[in-house]
Amino acid sequence: MAKKDIKKALKDFWFGKPHTAEEGGRRLGEILEDKTGLYKHREWRGVKDTMYYFYMIWLYNYIMMVKDLMVMGGVVNFAKGVWRYRWVGQTYLPVLHWFDRGLQGLRGEALKGSAWHYRAMVSSTIRQFQRMFASDTRLHGGKQNELYKHNIAHNETVWGGVFYPWDGVIQNVPLEMIPYFVTCHVNSHTVLNYIDAVQSIGLPGDPCPMCQAEAGIFVLDDVPDYAPAVITCNEACDASVSTSTLQDWFLDKPLFSLPMPMIFDDPLVKKYCMREIEELWKFIEEQYGIPFSWEKLVHKLEQQNELQRFEWEKWEVAAKTSSYPINGVAQALYRIYQTQYGDWEIWHKVDGKVRKIMEKCVTKKINTFPQTRHRVIAWSCAPLYYSNWCTWAYNCWGLNVVINMDSLMFDMTLRTDSYEHTLEDMAQYHMWAPMRRMAVGGMKHMFELWEYMEKFNCDMVAMYDQLQCKGVQGLHGLFEDEFRDRNVPAFWIPHALPDSRTVSRAEIRRQINDYMTTVMHEEPLDPSLLDFDDSMTW
Amino acid sequence: MCKFAKFLLKLLAVGLVLNVGLFCVFFFDLDGKLLFNVVEPFLKKHYDDMERKDTLQAPYDMNKYPKYEYDT
Repeated sequence: MAKKDIKKALKDFWFGKPHTAEEGGRRLGEILEDKTGLYKHREWRGVKDTMYYFYMIWLYNYIMMVKDLMVMGGVVNFAKGVWRYRWVGQTYLPVLHWFDRGLQGLRGEALKGSAWHYRAMVSSTIRQFQRMFASDTRLHGGKQNELYKHNIAHNETVWGGVFYPWDGVIQNVPLEMIPYFVTCHVNSHTVLNYIDAVQSIGLPGDPCPMCQAEAGIFVLDDVPDYAPAVITCNEACDASVSTSTLQDWFLDKPLFSLPMPMIFDDPLVKKYCMREIEELWKFIEEQYGIPFSWEKLVHKLEQQNELQRFEWEKWEVAAKTSSYPINGVAQALYRIYQTQYGDWEIWHKVDGKVRKIMEKCVTKKINTFPQTRHRVIAWSCAPLYYSNWCTWAYNCWGLNVVINMDSLMFDMTLRTDSYEHTLEDMAQYHMWAPMRRMAVGGMKHMFELWEYMEKFNCDMVAMYDQLQCKGVQGLHGLFEDEFRDRNVPAFWIPHALPDSRTVSRAEIRRQINDYMTTVMHEEPLDPSLLDFDDSMTW
Repeated sequence: MCKFAKFLLKLLAVGLVLNVGLFCVFFFDLDGKLLFNVVEPFLKKHYDDMERKDTLQAPYDMNKYPKYEYDT
């Protein structure tokens, strides 16, 4: 071997191979096994980053998961849950592969910051399913234990903040966040069972597959019985109303329906919504016999406001510098998880870690995504089975997804200076529900895209096209016209939310590849990622 | 060599072997391969074979609970 080759091999070993094809390239597509997406070997990122990934991400998270399981409900309850419920056994065991897919190719501070976000989501997931299993009458011989009596079940799009007045006394656990939503990101195969189940009883296949899957879990009798009462909402659309009807049937429990108004900019609608929240509180008091606590509500809202203020700091860095250490998928998932579930200790811990990393990046002016060619804003609802498409897009094309719609939905703090102000802001927050404000909340809100695009200094739009969402479909043409009029480069990502069979991951990549070559006339940074078969991957 | 030094050496050796072993599992994605090829197929078969309640047989008791009359 020539001296030059030895020197390069040593350099590659120590620092990791360079990103681009011109510099020799790391060719990330070649470390994947055909079809399964498993790794022939995990990526060598240079000594420092590989060791960080091995010790501080892979090993640390395995250890912390075991610790979380033991502290939050115990290993026995976990084992019982795995044996009984498909959504946990099939999905959450390979969770470290979810990290791998989202963090592929990252180096340095971006790797660290993004991985901490994943850690928080895993901990919060364990906390929720362990609470379900520890209280589940099906796993405890039909017995309603004390935990059961202090749980409240609710649709995943009912904001956890409405339960703050009972913090520490009644635990809210969403019905679908863990059995449905998070599963799609971690193992996209699991949800297909539930979609097929609901269609097998004769329901049509064309409504939103999210609503189908959420109902399908009930059809397959795969929902733990962990709470005496349930709160439902119409989530974002009429299909969700049907889901709630099925849930009411199958759960057979006292149920309160907390509607989300479709048109919410009207002050009278807001008044109505405030009253609805108050009625919900009355329902909880009646069902559980535990009084509403204003002090607890204020305390928890202040805590949540602290999370929001840090998020604004993060956005400042993301918008105005190239030192933001969070990648597109970590940003999107962490933020939607945190804002929807509400305040919890782990978010504060992780934000503390991320603050240190971010401050280091800003102080030292570290360019966290040095191969950025375009700063992208992703708009509308993302494909859950391929939320890590943006990791691929950066590695392959230098498309850096700086921010996304899901992160921006709850762009507010909540006032706690008086009951009236608090209730008003809570109603506002509740009405800005996921998939509501900017996805089906009317043109004014959908077109907030232009404002945020400017604010975050983006030059390209990744426009999600949820093929089974009638609301978003109706605005497709309007966006096309606007992109043309404003001369904004934009590509569409068609998908069917959780259902990977409608538009495959390979098809999504093909569409982006086509756009980047035929419209942008650009060459890939890593050609090995252009076309590969991951059809069987998690 | 004193007993304590021997113990330390042993501990170091065990730690090293453990680290190298775990690194091999990590680097060659042996955890992923085991889960994909063995654990998941086994669990899927278990879930597929599981007897499930026919939820459609449950009556929809619309009037079972008191009517909530709230002032909205």
